[in-house]
Amino acid sequence: MKQGFYFILALLLIGLALLLGLQVGTFETGPGTIAELLFNYNPHDSAHYAILHLRLPRLLLALVVGASLAFCGYLMQAMVNNGLADPYLLGTASGASLGAVIVFFGFVQVSVGGVYMPPVFALAGAFVVTLVVIMLGYRKRRLIPAQLLLAGIAISALVSSVVALLTFLSDSEGKLRSVIFWSMGSFERASWTLVPYPAAALLLALLLFVFYQKQLNILLLGADRAQALGLQVARTRWVILATVSVVTGFAVATSGPIGFVGLIIPHVTRGLLGTTGRFNLLFSAFVGGFFMLFCDLCSRLLYPPAGLPIGIITSFFGVPFFVYLLFKKNYNF
Amino acid sequence: MAGNTDRLVLKQKFTFCFGNSGLWLLCLVLLLGGCRQAKEESKEILVVEDDLGRQVKLQGQPKRVLSLSASMTEMLFAVLDTGTIVARTQNDDYPAAALAKPVVNNYPVDYEQVLALKPDLIFTVEGITPPDVAARLEELGVPVYYQKYEQVEDIFTGLEDIGRIMGREAQAKTLTDSLRQEVRKLNERYKHVQQPLRVLAITWQDPIYVYGQNTLLTDKLRILGAENAVQEVFEQPYPALTREYILKLNPDVLLGGTPEKLEAEFFSLYPELRRIKAYQNKRLYHPTDDLMSRPSPRVVESLRELEGFLYP
Repeated sequence: MKQGFYFILALLLIGLALLLGLQVGTFETGPGTIAELLFNYNPHDSAHYAILHLRLPRLLLALVVGASLAFCGYLMQAMVNNGLADPYLLGTASGASLGAVIVFFGFVQVSVGGVYMPPVFALAGAFVVTLVVIMLGYRKRRLIPAQLLLAGIAISALVSSVVALLTFLSDSEGKLRSVIFWSMGSFERASWTLVPYPAAALLLALLLFVFYQKQLNILLLGADRAQALGLQVARTRWVILATVSVVTGFAVATSGPIGFVGLIIPHVTRGLLGTTGRFNLLFSAFVGGFFMLFCDLCSRLLYPPAGLPIGIITSFFGVPFFVYLLFKKNYNF
Repeated sequence: MAGNTDRLVLKQKFTFCFGNSGLWLLCLVLLLGGCRQAKEESKEILVVEDDLGRQVKLQGQPKRVLSLSASMTEMLFAVLDTGTIVARTQNDDYPAAALAKPVVNNYPVDYEQVLALKPDLIFTVEGITPPDVAARLEELGVPVYYQKYEQVEDIFTGLEDIGRIMGREAQAKTLTDSLRQEVRKLNERYKHVQQPLRVLAITWQDPIYVYGQNTLLTDKLRILGAENAVQEVFEQPYPALTREYILKLNPDVLLGGTPEKLEAEFFSLYPELRRIKAYQNKRLYHPTDDLMSRPSPRVVESLRELEGFLYP
């Protein structure tokens, strides 16, 4: 009953944020324009065009990326049984940054055959670094969560220092701006050609975890007890790692490393629905999506036209809430 | 406004040892023998005010100067005797004579190299040298003089200021007279343009950064009877814009690269922007980077280049 209420509330909020978000931009538009667009789309009207081809993909990308990060954050925290985990622990963010920076600094052509390269290289960088971290997380063919976390931190630091070195050696202010802009996250590049990739990754992952939800909750009891209960711990962990790598990789590659969402939203979910709720993962994704939409809306309202970097807003709103959770009496991490 | 003549305050002070007559008397009593030495050290101190309103103290007229920005190097070479300029930065490539000078890194500033060259004064441009770097240089005993330019005219007053500080007023005047005349001629030609072309100049494609209202380009375009498409005044001189904002601006002319380069790196990334007039009418141009970005005596050259784009 309570669960149903929260789900409906989250959906309503997402709908509301989308509706509001569609009206914010340079062209003066209101609910009337949206209605007009729905029933009588005029491709020659620049405002209509902007809503359909710029604002809508942007909002959808924010929704998908927010949902992806929250979803992966929840998975990671469940897998390592630690509330401090976030989706970037596998080195995804730093790997993606390295990939993007390699393009920004001219080691690779910016555009190959009409395809914009930074997201492609960011995705590749994310996958390569994640793979290295996962390999280092193994000992005697067993995945050791603590070792995985430490490997993630170490490799991330190493890759970040390479990024910092390249940034320092940069010869142009423009390149620096690209890197700074990238590192704080943005949905400004969103387009109908970009959105389907992270969206498809997220949808497939959500579907997969309809089947794995039960295993996830058993894993929360600890590896030994889960094993004793007949759970194939190693396999479950593999599924989680692969999912987190792919979904986070696409999210980061399209929007840059956006912090705090993946850390905080899972806590919000558990705070509202309890630790082992059946629909926790799905709810986490919903709340993450809404939170990101809300942050994007704030960013564009506070600092038009370009908007503040989204990473600044997510930390700004996320951290006070996190502190509140820390001090809330009946919440255990 | 930069370079107002009245603002160039030349104060002459004779300082005796500590610059304070009470202390001087004390000195006289205590250090009878050291008196001669103190007199030798007394030197004329010039105080000039730079474009940021900072008081710059000079030990007499500077004989050795260097610049910490590429545009300032061009300014110095246009007015000064080449021998007075003791260095260039790693980015400076104009005029050719600059290439013969020793290199001083301006980012991060190579303090030791600066000190080794013993400059009497450093000229630089606001926004290129951070204030903390200037403070550190002054701590090390090298005064720093800032210029800033909001309009084309500020470049000319800047040249005259350099001439005045360095005792090359006549040379500066000859130069600025001819430059001003060129600008006037161009302005006369396009004063009566009925429908000014609206020009958007991009400096970077991801994110999209453009020349804002408070950049020199706005004044250059005004001289040529055109206008900066970005009319809104942003805090940053080069604001970041969204695709939607540019769609709404719908500029007549886009500066930022050859049509091929823009197609490959800009319009392929932002296909939505193919709707703007500049793209539809193929009015995409590639101005020379240094002429666009450096406020220097080559501003007239830059104006002529822009003229060629606007009125082919």
